[in-house]
Parts: sequence; structure tokens; C-alpha cells
Amino acid sequence: MPKAVSRLLIASMIGVVVLGVIAYFVGSAWFGLPVGAQAPDQPIAYPHTVHAGSVDSGGMGIDCTFCHRNVDKGPAATIPSVQQCMFCHANITGKGSTSPTAETEIAKLRDASAQGLPVNWLRVHRLPDHVQFVHDIHINFLSGRPDKIVNSTPVVGADGRVNAAQVCSTCHGQVATMTKVKQVRALKMGDCVDCHRENNAPTDCAVCHY
Amino acid sequence: MKTTRRKFLKWSGVGALGAVVFAGCTIPERELLVQSPAQLPEDLVRGLENWYATACGQCGAGEGVIVRVVEGRALKIEGNPDHPLSRGKSTVQCQAALQALYNPTRINGPKRLTGARGSGQYEDITWDEALSEVTAALQGQATGSVVVLTDPIRGTLGMVAEKFATASGGQHWGYEALETATLHAAIKQTFNTDRLPDFDIEHSDYILSFGADFLSSWLSPVRYGRGYGEFRQGGKVRGTLVQVESRFSMTAANADHWVFVHPGREGEVALSIAYVLLSDHAGQVNAAAANALTGGQGPAALAAFAPEAVAERSGVSAEMLREMAKGLAEHPNAVVLGGGSAGATTNGLFNLNAVYALNHLIGSVGRAGGVKHNPGSPVAGLPANAKVGTFADWQDLTGKMQGGQIKVALVRSANPVYGLPSSLGFRDALNNVGKIVSFSSFMDETTIMADLILPDNSFLEAWGDDIPEAGPGHEAITFQQPVVRPMLSTKAFGDSLLDVANRLGGNVKATLPWGTMKEALQATARQLQALNRGSVQSANFQAFWNTVLQRGGWWDVNAKGAAPGGPLPKLPTEAVEPVFAGDAGGDSYFLVPFASNALGDGKGANLPWLQASPDPVTTVVWQTWVEINRKKAMEEWGIKEGDEIEIAGPGGTIRALAYLHPGVSPDVVCVPMGQGHTHYGDFEIGPDLERFKNNVGLDRGGNVFAAVTGAKVEGSGALAWAGSRVTIRKTGNWVRVPKLEGPVFADFAMVEEYLPIVKPDDSKA
Repeated sequence: MPKAVSRLLIASMIGVVVLGVIAYFVGSAWFGLPVGAQAPDQPIAYPHTVHAGSVDSGGMGIDCTFCHRNVDKGPAATIPSVQQCMFCHANITGKGSTSPTAETEIAKLRDASAQGLPVNWLRVHRLPDHVQFVHDIHINFLSGRPDKIVNSTPVVGADGRVNAAQVCSTCHGQVATMTKVKQVRALKMGDCVDCHRENNAPTDCAVCHY
Repeated sequence: MKTTRRKFLKWSGVGALGAVVFAGCTIPERELLVQSPAQLPEDLVRGLENWYATACGQCGAGEGVIVRVVEGRALKIEGNPDHPLSRGKSTVQCQAALQALYNPTRINGPKRLTGARGSGQYEDITWDEALSEVTAALQGQATGSVVVLTDPIRGTLGMVAEKFATASGGQHWGYEALETATLHAAIKQTFNTDRLPDFDIEHSDYILSFGADFLSSWLSPVRYGRGYGEFRQGGKVRGTLVQVESRFSMTAANADHWVFVHPGREGEVALSIAYVLLSDHAGQVNAAAANALTGGQGPAALAAFAPEAVAERSGVSAEMLREMAKGLAEHPNAVVLGGGSAGATTNGLFNLNAVYALNHLIGSVGRAGGVKHNPGSPVAGLPANAKVGTFADWQDLTGKMQGGQIKVALVRSANPVYGLPSSLGFRDALNNVGKIVSFSSFMDETTIMADLILPDNSFLEAWGDDIPEAGPGHEAITFQQPVVRPMLSTKAFGDSLLDVANRLGGNVKATLPWGTMKEALQATARQLQALNRGSVQSANFQAFWNTVLQRGGWWDVNAKGAAPGGPLPKLPTEAVEPVFAGDAGGDSYFLVPFASNALGDGKGANLPWLQASPDPVTTVVWQTWVEINRKKAMEEWGIKEGDEIEIAGPGGTIRALAYLHPGVSPDVVCVPMGQGHTHYGDFEIGPDLERFKNNVGLDRGGNVFAAVTGAKVEGSGALAWAGSRVTIRKTGNWVRVPKLEGPVFADFAMVEEYLPIVKPDDSKA
């Protein structure tokens, strides 16, 4: 076949490959699930079911905000320190637990504490670097608008407000029923902007991208 | 080319391989980690920052800074926007001071010498042992056998050190490598005040500066840098800056005119300008001042300084002298200032006296844009002036140490072994001191001579205060508070002194009734509260204390300094000639050392940020360089950039890399201060010929203080560090000069015209 045509063929094949790569990335970003949706294995297999799960289902019913303390105070909800875990686990070793792995997992925690080392968890909910999300505004807003809370049935207080812990499931789902934490809501920009629009919150670019 | 099946499969394979490789580009795992810290105070909200106001302790000018602290870690230093001197600005030295806090070479815990003095062999001891040993050493010492050597400290810590020394029967001296004694003496003789004045350059329209590199290293570059911006762009009139200096400094580079003057001739130039002012501009001159300064004789008293006579000796043309006088006369808000190398030749005091006297003639004292006097300390007993020693005092001290009179020496933030000329023999004299106790955080040349080391806190971990020198023209005290808890096992110098005073008991304890520096500082704060005026006022002490700490200090803009009055000094009728040590032959050059913009006098050499901070004029980093006249170097000496030059001065020989500079006079070489340490942590290792030959780069060049003569400034006793002549020689080694500017010289043919350098045919030196 003529040189020009075969050159064209090579060029277009390269073009197809390049387009394929781009399509792969764009497609996976648009349609794909975020990293957190795969419920990553954590260094210590911490079960929210046991701790935060309702008493009816066999858990201890601990409030979300008991550990994730800064959710209504600052931008990050913050993970509790090892020191805080040791409030209970200084005495609770998991010996005699119904779960076969409890003792080994709790031993990992107790070792870290004894050596003064931190625990490095794998982040489940992650937003890209160009987005700035602050928890406290959202928690405080939704605490006063219980009708906007999804994924759970909040217990509304006498003043029409709910406590911060009831708001969490709106974006994070029912974490108290998860043995391994998993991201259940897409948390993409469309998701955020929809909720902002419904609630007359600012949709200016610079509110989140600064 | 035919596309065969083989080729098609090959290309598909390549494409697939590429896709797989690309798909492997996921987010690295470390970005997905979120940490449970091992310990956390329950009320600490993570990720939020707090800003604390404190005083900067790196450069010693007492400016206010604010420090960003996140989760108990200091992360950034900025200028305090409230502070009257800094107003939110800071210099490179303040910014880099964080590295002094986190420096891995900081001494951790008290140490006792196990080997010979100077060997660097130490063992760890407890704080109790260390403090007991110091107490034991001081007990029962005869008067005059104890010396407390610190940096120039004012305020509460200065008071504590002074009282401690006096009560122990000893003396407290403040050591500074770049002595301000000559400047103080000139100010005292010209304006009859002990405090350095502030120069209101913001509102000036004409600044005539003699040797004072105020944008880079003189007094407070923060304050003058900020003022300079207003000077140029703040008002309706854009100010004019004329810099008269032997070196093309950063301030000279920013000036409208840089006037090269021969080293030591600044005084003659100033008096010549005075002569022209009195003869040609008598109408614009303050008549009463003119009368007093000339003893009623008018310009005739200064006849020896007529421009034609001075031009040849000084290197400044008669035309330029007349122009400068005209500038002073025609600008209603002119100001004259001087310092730096102008005061560091043997006739330095004569120079500065002449320079500052011009202010009387143009009537700039106490008016806008001129000389603003600073008041004394707002609190009785709190020193506003640091007690500093002059070279004459160090000679005296060396003699006493050599004679075995000094039994105990306490050293803090002072490195005289590095900064004093080697001809003095300070290091050898230290060998005859009974016990040397150092409070230094770093193992420098003086600390390595210590028998005991009780490492000090960083200024970010300590309480204190400072009365800024030079002040802002009104009463001000900067407060220093710890912004983080001490990282290592260190103890604040003030606390150590108070602890030892407590153990000594008796007279020492009686004069220092506080247990810690915080208590002493609160006592000072109570006295300020009692004044019931100024930026912070409250009847409740806790409220007063909190507010002062929040704002970073206390000041009273209405408590200005007043002109002390008194008779004006009569101007000299004859010049005092500068005397230069060293070879005066045809092949010798004036050595003009200068304070490095980043390293200062050498204090910042152990901070990599400062080492990497380029010199504003030459952009050289991490090395010592010598500025040599470009034309002469290329045409006569065959020196190119990077040639290692051996500089032989009256005090010793050092090496530096040649930097060819069009703005250096053919008979001058300029070398920055600050490098050439033999001990100062890992980043500073002294001259090592083998390393240098191998270009390994650990050698940072020479310590210029080792080359200068041990001569004194007449009338003040300070070290005449600009009073040496040197010979230079190529060693044959070459090292590429580490600098940020490109390697190609911007060689425009008219360099000579833009930077006229007058070379006198002979020099009287």
C-alpha cells in the first residue's frame, strides 16, 4: 500500500491508543467508584459495629463524636489518638471475646501504645487536593435541619435540633453497621453542588476551591 | 511501508503495555494515610493554627514577630503587624530562626568535659549536677574573678545577668563582633544622648548615608527596609538616596548615587560637605548650629576641607562634594546617617562625629524626616542599653585571663574565639581560666573550650523581653514568650542563673528574688501596668499580662525621646588620618569586610536556610568570596571567577573565591563575614586544604576576622575591623563559585561610565 496511507494508518493507530488511555482515565473518573469504595484493609481491623453499633444489634452504642471529636469544631473530623483508645483497651484485651481475632488485633493497638507509636490508618474518604471541605459548617447546619439528614432516622430534640453524631450518616452512610469502613456515597462535585442548591448554600467556586 | 500482521501485533503490544503502565499510576499509598497520634490533649483541635506574638532572638534588634503554631509545633515566623518597629515585616534572619529550634546539632542536656579542654569530649550529666557544679565554682570567689559574657542583652534578662555578675563579685560584658561602641560614642558626642536615635526615613526626601548598609545589615534592616518603601513611594516626593561607601553594598545598589570613598576618608568628605554648606548655602543652614560648630568662624574654620583639597585624598570629586551639599541644602527633610565601615577604621570616631554633625547644620534633629531621639527605659532598673565591651575591654580581659585572675567564666550566645582577631590570643588565654561554663545551644569555637555546658533554650521556648535598639522613637518593650514547650533537655539561661542564685544564697539570692524568668518578667510587667499609660492599660494584672503577651509587647507612642540639649561639639579643623595595618606597598589593597546579609557576623552560619540565602548583590551562597575589581583582575592579574585567592592580612591568612565585580575600586577587596567556622555543627567546617582541592565543598572559606588587625578605633576602643591592608595571591586552585546568577557576565561596554571609580594616584595610608 502507498507510503502515505500506511503512515496515516500508523499515526491513527497511535492516536487510537492515546485516545484509549485518555478515555480510560476520564471514564474511570466519571463512572468509577472512588478508592474508598473498596473498603481497604486497615492495619488494625477495627470494627465500628462493636463500638458504634446500636445496643440492640450487640454493639456499645458509642456516639460518633466521642471519638471523632472535632467534627463540629474544625475542618477535619479527626481520628482519635491511640491514647483515647487506651481509655478502655488498657483493660480490655479481647481475651475471651466471641470474635476469634479480637485479641490479636487489640494486641496490635496495645503494642503501639506501649511504644508510643502512632497508628497509620488507610484513608477511606478522600477528596482531591483542589477541594477544601470543612466539616464543622456542615455539621452545624445539618444539626439544625434534621429534615435534610439522609441515610438515618434522626432523633430530634425538643429544640428541633439533633446532636452532631446523627448528621454523619448523611454522607458517610451507616458506619455503625460496617465491619470495615466503606465509602457509600459518591462525594463527587455534582453531589455536593446538588445539596448546596437545595439548601440555598453558596455555590460560588471559591467557596470550596481556594 | 506495508503494515504487516507482525507490525500490527507489535504496535498493539506496545499500546497495551503503555496502557498497563499508565494504569499503574495510582495515588501513592502514603497520601492515603491518616494518623492516630500516640498522644493528644483532649481539648486540642487538630489542624488548627494559633499565632503567638514574641520577640525575635536571632538578630538581636528586638523586633516583634508572630509565630504560627500547629499542634504544639512552631511552623512559621512572620513579623508582628502591631509592633512599632517591624509592623509585620521580617528579615531573612528572623524567618530562618526556626532552624535554630529544630537544628539537629543542638546540644541536648548538660555536659561535663572528660578530656582535655578543647577536645570536645563530654559526658552527659543531670541538670542538678550541672547547676550544683556551677554553684560550687562560684562560691567564695574573690571580687573580680568572675566574668559573665553574653550577647548584648537588655531588658529583664540584661538586668538579671548584670545583677548576678555584680553580686557574685564579677563583671558582666556583652560581646558583639560588630561593635557598636563607636556609633554610641559618636551619638553621645554629637547629640549628648546614650540611646541610639531613630532615623525617620519614611518622611525624609534626601538620605545621605556614610557606610551604613541599612537595607541589609545595619541596626534594624526590618525597620529601615520598611521605611525605605515609604521613603520611595509613600509620599508625594520620591526621596533621593545617596550612599557614600567604600563598597558596592545592597544599599549602594539601591541608591540614586553610589559615591565611592576611600576607606577611612568618610569624615573628611562629611566635613567638606559642611564647608560647602557653610560657604555656598548659608541661607539653608541652621545659623545657631553653624555658629556653635565652627566656633563662630564660619566656613573659614573648615578651610582644610575645601572640596579641591579633599577630592584627591578621598576619591570623591569636588563636583560630587558640591552636589551632595546642594542636595542637603535644597531638600527640606534631609537626614544624614553613618556607620558600618565608616566607623571601623582607626579614625572611625572622627568620621562618625563629622557625619552626624551635619544633622545639626541642616536642622534635622527632632523634625520630620530627620533624627528622632529615643527615650530611656520606661521601667526603672531595666537597662535600655546593653552593656557591651569594646576591643580595648577584650584586650584587658585577655590580659586578666592570661594572668590567671579569672576563675569562672560564664558564656552565653557569644563567640569571641571566632570573632576576635587571632592576634589577641583570646583562645589561648581561655586556657588559664579556672572554670568555663557555656550556656550555648551549639558547639561553636568558644563552647568547645567549656568545662561545663548547660544548653540554653531557643528564644521560641523562653520567657524574656527586649527594649529594641534602636528604638522607634518612643518607649517600647517587646515581650518574648515561649511558643512551644522545650523540645530537648535545655534550660533557659535566665532560669539557670536564677536557680544558681537561689543555691548560692546570701547576697546573690537577695538581689535576685525571683525563682524563674517568668516571675521576673511579671515583676517588670507590674511596673509597666503601674504606669497606667501606653498601648496596654488595665487595673487587673492578669488582663494586662494577657494583653501584653497577645500584642507582643508594650509601647507608648506619646512617650517620645527628647533632644537632651547641651552644647554642640566644635568641629575639628584638621583631619584625623586613618592608619592602616599591613603592607602599604604597591601590591596591597584595602580590606573592607562586611556583615553578610544572611549570616550577619557569623551567628547564622549553622542554619542552612541562611547559608542558602543569596547575597543580595553577588547572589553567592554557601561560600566566602572576595570582591575584586573586574577590569584589573582580568587585565592585570589574570584572575578569573572562582580562582582561590589567598588573602594575607596583618592578623593572618585566609582563603576565598574570587568574584569579579565591576563596582569595586581597583585598590580595594571586599570579603563577607560569617564563614570559616572551625566548629559550629555539621554545616560549618573550617578550612581544610585537602577537601578544598577535591572540591568536596565542605570548606566554606575563611573567617575574615582572622585576617584583620587588632587595632582600635581612636576614642572609642572598638575594633577597627576595616583598618587592614592585605596582599592577595592566586593559589592555583579553582572552585566554581556557587551563585544564583548565571555564569555569563552582563558585560555592557559602558560599565566604566556608569560606575565611575576614581583612583587617586597615591594614598596617604
